[in-house]
Amino acid sequence: MLELRLVQGSLLKKVLESVKELVNDANFDCSSTGFSLQAMDSSHVALVALLLRSEGFEHYRCDRNISMGMNLNNMAKMLKCAGNDDIITIKADDGSDTVTFMFESPTQDKISDFEMKLMDIDSEHLGIPEAEYHAIVKMPSSEFARICKDLSSIGDTVVISVTKEGVKFSTKGDIGTANIVCRQNTSVDKPEEATVIEMNEPVSLTFALRYMNSFTKATPLSNTVTISLSNELPVVVEYKIAEMGYVRFYLAPKIEEDEEDTKPQV
Amino acid sequence: MGSKILPKWASKPCVMGIDEAGRGPVLGPMVYGCLYCSQSYLKTLSTLSFADSKTLKEEKREELFETLKLNDSIGWDVDVIDPRELSAKMLKKNKINLNEISHSSAMGLIDRVLKMGVLLTEVYIDTVGDAGKYEMKLSNSFPSIKFVVAKKADSLYPVVSGASIVAKVTRDRALREWVLDETAENMQRNFGSGYPGDPQTKSWLEDHKHHIFGFPSLVRFSWGTCNSYFKDAAEVLWESDNLDEDGGGSNNKNGKRQLKLSNVGFTTSKRSEEIESSGKGRCRFFQARKLEHLTYF
Repeated sequence: MLELRLVQGSLLKKVLESVKELVNDANFDCSSTGFSLQAMDSSHVALVALLLRSEGFEHYRCDRNISMGMNLNNMAKMLKCAGNDDIITIKADDGSDTVTFMFESPTQDKISDFEMKLMDIDSEHLGIPEAEYHAIVKMPSSEFARICKDLSSIGDTVVISVTKEGVKFSTKGDIGTANIVCRQNTSVDKPEEATVIEMNEPVSLTFALRYMNSFTKATPLSNTVTISLSNELPVVVEYKIAEMGYVRFYLAPKIEEDEEDTKPQV
Repeated sequence: MGSKILPKWASKPCVMGIDEAGRGPVLGPMVYGCLYCSQSYLKTLSTLSFADSKTLKEEKREELFETLKLNDSIGWDVDVIDPRELSAKMLKKNKINLNEISHSSAMGLIDRVLKMGVLLTEVYIDTVGDAGKYEMKLSNSFPSIKFVVAKKADSLYPVVSGASIVAKVTRDRALREWVLDETAENMQRNFGSGYPGDPQTKSWLEDHKHHIFGFPSLVRFSWGTCNSYFKDAAEVLWESDNLDEDGGGSNNKNGKRQLKLSNVGFTTSKRSEEIESSGKGRCRFFQARKLEHLTYF
């Protein structure tokens, strides 16, 4: 049996809004340590990894490891029916082919009960390689979202370059070019408004803006976003989820056409 | 598939014939067959009444096949290519045409027999495509073997005649015993010869076409014959076509190529069997083809 009770139900609503654009169907894996999800987009260019630790739930009961296949769009529709201040409980019986979402208003005067059919999704466990990142940028998530949105109106790829001066976001398109530089600033009053850059080595990588904009749907989850970069590795865009977990997006870079051909055949 | 223990004669110079059956039909497998024996046995082989399988009646072919199987001086093997495999290869983005499939199958048989330890020195084979190119291709792959690639090889060389019987009987039996995967009320097996011009085959195709799923998997969807039946069928939009259009694929207008996660170290593995999956299983049709439904277009 599975029973999870989350007082801050809006977190789950926000999680679904952030993930559903990237992935249609996914398996939620529940174990004693937490509630997690790992899935690639259909073209296998981006990956989302979600973790909600069991300690973050008011009540967490998971008798045995279970995997629940869900259509994320349908799940988001269900969660939309919860109020922003509602307590959300997720329930599933062993061997059941449905999951139940229960929404309780804060004053307990309204209780809703929604049941959704589960799916049997053929998916594989994804191995994320260990990486040491050359550059890690921590900045306000709203700023990052704004940058991705602004650059999208100019071009369809973004070059993210990190040097000791700061982090530069560049794009170019039919109508021209755009560059946005964010300098490191740690001397602001509020920590969440700071831009902090740790850099071992300068990095410059190119990514599709379409995916970056999709990732920024997670902005409501956290005031800050952490962007980890290494040359020739996927970028990791991470949003913390209160004190209970994170949602991480991995995106493979773009390379010059001839680069790939010179790589040795695996 | 012939004797598991390598016979003594196989360590002496051997000769092989290769032929196929079921190249032209719109349904059923294509079968490549081979037959081999020692060089010294060739004279005896030519007295065994083998002939091009197309000139023999079914009963005679079956009889010869049984005789052949009991003969300790002869080895044989087959490669049965499923109609689904033919369709998948011929229809995929990087298409593999029927000639290439044929060449690969023939070379696969040679490789298999060599790996058994048979000392092959000569191979006779009916040509597929240009005979010279085919011979060169074969010689490049198997330098120690002398190849004879010729038209009507099944009439000219007893080892190829024998191979044609092996292939033909195997195909006929596969078709006779074919188990239709699909479950429907009116599934019949009276599909005739399977050739596109056969009225019985045409009638069967007409009766067994489906508005969404097409035909039973017995049918080679890649055949041009199938197109006329699909005029009124549901249209399918393939995601990979869209990816090319909007630059998601490798042909990107910026001149930069989008990598996939697997290019940069991400691996996939089978999901742990400890974790029980909830939810009703999806229709086998979709699972087998890894299709998923979309919620927006």
